[in-house]
Amino acid sequence: MPFKLFEVDKEIPDREKHIYVKDSADPKEHIPKCNTTTIPGCMTERGCSFAGIRGVIGGAIKDVIHVVHAPVGCTTNSSGSKRYPTSPDLPNGDKVPVDQFNLKYVMGTDLKESDVIFGGMKKLRQSIIEAYKEFPFVGAIYTYATCTTGLIGDDMDAVAKQLTEELGKDVVAFNVPGFSGPTQSKGHHEGNITFFNRLVGTKEPPETTPYDVNLIGEYNIDGDNWILEPYLKEIGINILSRFTGDSSHDEICWMHRAKLSLVRCQRSANYIADLIEEKYGIPYIKVDFFGPKYCAENLMAVAKYFGLEEKAEKLIERKMKEIQPELDFYKEKLQGKKLWMFSGGPKNWHFPEPLKDHLGMETVAVSTMFEHEDGYTKIKERVGEGTVIIDDPNSLEFDEIIEVYKPDIILSGIKEKYKAHKFGVPGILIHSYENGPYIGFEGFLNLARDIYASIYSPVWNMIEFEEELEESEEEVIK
Amino acid sequence: MSCANIIKKERTSVINPLVTCQPMGAMYAVAGIRRGLPLVHGAQGCSTFVRYAFARHFREPSEIAVTSLHEDAAVFGGRKNLISGIGNLAIRFKPSLIGVISTCSSEIIGDDMGGFIKVAIEEMKKRMGEKEAEKIKIVPISTPSFVETHFKGYDNTIKALVDNLACDPTEFNEKVNIIPGIVNPGDIREIKHILALMGIEGLILTDISDPFDSPLRPSATEFKPFYPKGGTTVEEICDTSNSLGTISLCRYAGSAAVSLEKKYDVPAAVGPIPIGVQNTDQFLRNLKKFTGLEIPDTILDERGLLIDSMADIVSRYLFGRKVAVFGDPAITSGIARFVCELGMIPSVVCTGVESPEFVEEMKKVAKESDEPVDVLIRSDLRDLETHLEEDPVDLMIGHSDGRLFAKSLDIPLIRVGFPVYDRVGYHRVPIVGYNGGINLIDRITNTVFEKYYDKEHWKLQQ
Repeated sequence: MPFKLFEVDKEIPDREKHIYVKDSADPKEHIPKCNTTTIPGCMTERGCSFAGIRGVIGGAIKDVIHVVHAPVGCTTNSSGSKRYPTSPDLPNGDKVPVDQFNLKYVMGTDLKESDVIFGGMKKLRQSIIEAYKEFPFVGAIYTYATCTTGLIGDDMDAVAKQLTEELGKDVVAFNVPGFSGPTQSKGHHEGNITFFNRLVGTKEPPETTPYDVNLIGEYNIDGDNWILEPYLKEIGINILSRFTGDSSHDEICWMHRAKLSLVRCQRSANYIADLIEEKYGIPYIKVDFFGPKYCAENLMAVAKYFGLEEKAEKLIERKMKEIQPELDFYKEKLQGKKLWMFSGGPKNWHFPEPLKDHLGMETVAVSTMFEHEDGYTKIKERVGEGTVIIDDPNSLEFDEIIEVYKPDIILSGIKEKYKAHKFGVPGILIHSYENGPYIGFEGFLNLARDIYASIYSPVWNMIEFEEELEESEEEVIK
Repeated sequence: MSCANIIKKERTSVINPLVTCQPMGAMYAVAGIRRGLPLVHGAQGCSTFVRYAFARHFREPSEIAVTSLHEDAAVFGGRKNLISGIGNLAIRFKPSLIGVISTCSSEIIGDDMGGFIKVAIEEMKKRMGEKEAEKIKIVPISTPSFVETHFKGYDNTIKALVDNLACDPTEFNEKVNIIPGIVNPGDIREIKHILALMGIEGLILTDISDPFDSPLRPSATEFKPFYPKGGTTVEEICDTSNSLGTISLCRYAGSAAVSLEKKYDVPAAVGPIPIGVQNTDQFLRNLKKFTGLEIPDTILDERGLLIDSMADIVSRYLFGRKVAVFGDPAITSGIARFVCELGMIPSVVCTGVESPEFVEEMKKVAKESDEPVDVLIRSDLRDLETHLEEDPVDLMIGHSDGRLFAKSLDIPLIRVGFPVYDRVGYHRVPIVGYNGGINLIDRITNTVFEKYYDKEHWKLQQ
């Protein structure tokens, strides 16, 4: 009985296919049904494909101004919400003149009723010209379709093409209206294709080395890149292009010149790595830098590709020595604690093993918003027997997971975190982190520290008023 | 006496908006109903982005459902999604009310929400029995995202609730309806505090104070489904037609008040938001008018505490300082007037709406100001930034979305309104009423201390 119908789902029995309890005796293909549309009327944690392309991928680039082609709400919603900082440095030695430009500004066409009736292309054209006037230093202007513009059928590519010529700057249209595809994953996918078709191969890097890589699917969440990049540098590997954390527009245009691609997020960015391999013959390695063991193994794999193992070994040895004592402390404190991991996708298979190996924690529940079959297969491989794996859990299932699986902590997004607290269960942010970064060796310590601080916060011992105290307890309180 | 210079943004595009679209206002309003659930008829981003924004500001969960429109709905319409969505939500959550909120997509597709809801109710009856189905009120709320702003969505929602639910009047209930506008839990609690001191029972349309600031007490919380504490009951909304009067604290959300007056002779007073001395005085006069009750000494003492703070603090630390106020039109206009009462100059007042009421309000404020007031309408944060680069001020008062602008301009930002996510507690601390005025003075003055006195700290010794 690998699939499980939750008590709260008896009125929507189709949900049974989306919830699987791991049993190694089951055939390999037993995984939750996924990447299908959510049942209407659910409180899903999923977002839209506009969020996928604008929020996850596009917004991380340091020198691009984004023009959201929509009524005002989509522009407001995509302003300053994701935590991906940028450095001002550009590949040609220039600097972006505005601190955290990508976090500070977002533009929109502010569509009104008359635009819906007569079309919004004039407004889009005007807005892009205004974007250029306001921010003449940008490397490019990206513009995004939304539900409204998808439905009224504006030809954004035509506007983008014309203005690229007129302005002498890349204007790129991303045609993924919010309603397309079951989740934000569709936005990642279509976005990858647009980046590849429209940009990759259009510019040449100022210089190349035999050790050039593309770092793909790393978005510099809370500074993750700034942990990884020094590692690679120390080993002797040069990051030629980032896709897209702390990246510049130009870097994406010369991704075809790297010797190897490293694919970090294997849900949102594997597509572009595939396309680059297919067209330019540049191979890629799927990498996993979450948790010290994976980080060490994957750094070695990358180093090996370039024959730089020795330097990698030294780095790994030093880093492990640095973090081990603190790691041991957290392991002692967190041994046996149960967790529920609820991320967008890949973090669900990145984390269960490191949390078990290094911290002694047990993953009792795993759920994702937009993972596909390949991701669920990996999740199934990496979690223990009896772990419940849930695709797109809805709000009522949330309650049942906590009731049945009794996690000591939930690693999730902000919407779920505060609800978990109402149950008396601590939660930490795993999409944008609490006090990150969480990647790499020292990043894993940050994660361990945040988990420890959440579980061991004194508040959880005081959540209910007690009429009378045992005498010994009274002593402790004093 | 001075003038208001009305300046309209020249750009077509918006850069860092000060407003959002209608559905957000609707979700906020429905969240203030006891066991009330918003059901957004649109794509998932429409509900998820707003839940995210609420979580970030209130640090609370918000339960908002969505009909998950996709390509098939874009082609064939959202009928199936809406009917099954209502049914699933009703049967699984047993809410007291479902507010069906339209979006740009469902409006453009042209879904007949009223017609679909009728079918949905029949389906519900089949699935859960007539008796159970009838307990659940279903209210259609039209909130096209491409028309006006979130305030319109809020206004449309309160009006839809009253129009659909208010009963035929029976006898006076001795209550006063209050439409608070888009404010914080702390503000609503302060309004209730004033009503309690007056001896008036208020009927808040709608009351988000507990749902968006609820206790962590598992033993006293409803789970499976989770419903937060508090909120206005459906019965109370039905009873609004029996009230002594309706006060909308928000000039931009008075339609429900007007509707109750027209249909049921419940007298209406619309605005101003009771921020500062004179606006709160006006609120009390409105309460007195509707109830005939005298304003008790306890309230006049609270007023006296605010006046006392102003007397003690204003002339030395605040007088003559130039301020830029930005945000939604209601809070912005209230703060601008209060700034004048503190002897400061609201040099720039900036909002995302283009409304004649706001312009009128700002003209009044300008008359009370010693110096001219630049009023930026249909504006945005970039517009404000450009303005302040040329003509700087001493302080900015507005929400967290202005944080990076304040930082690069090197002007201290005093946070008020929605959203505030880079400081804590602001959703709990009122800015309305006399007590809210005291809080604001403290917040403003302490910011002035940090920026303008810390270097010469001896100036603060006595």
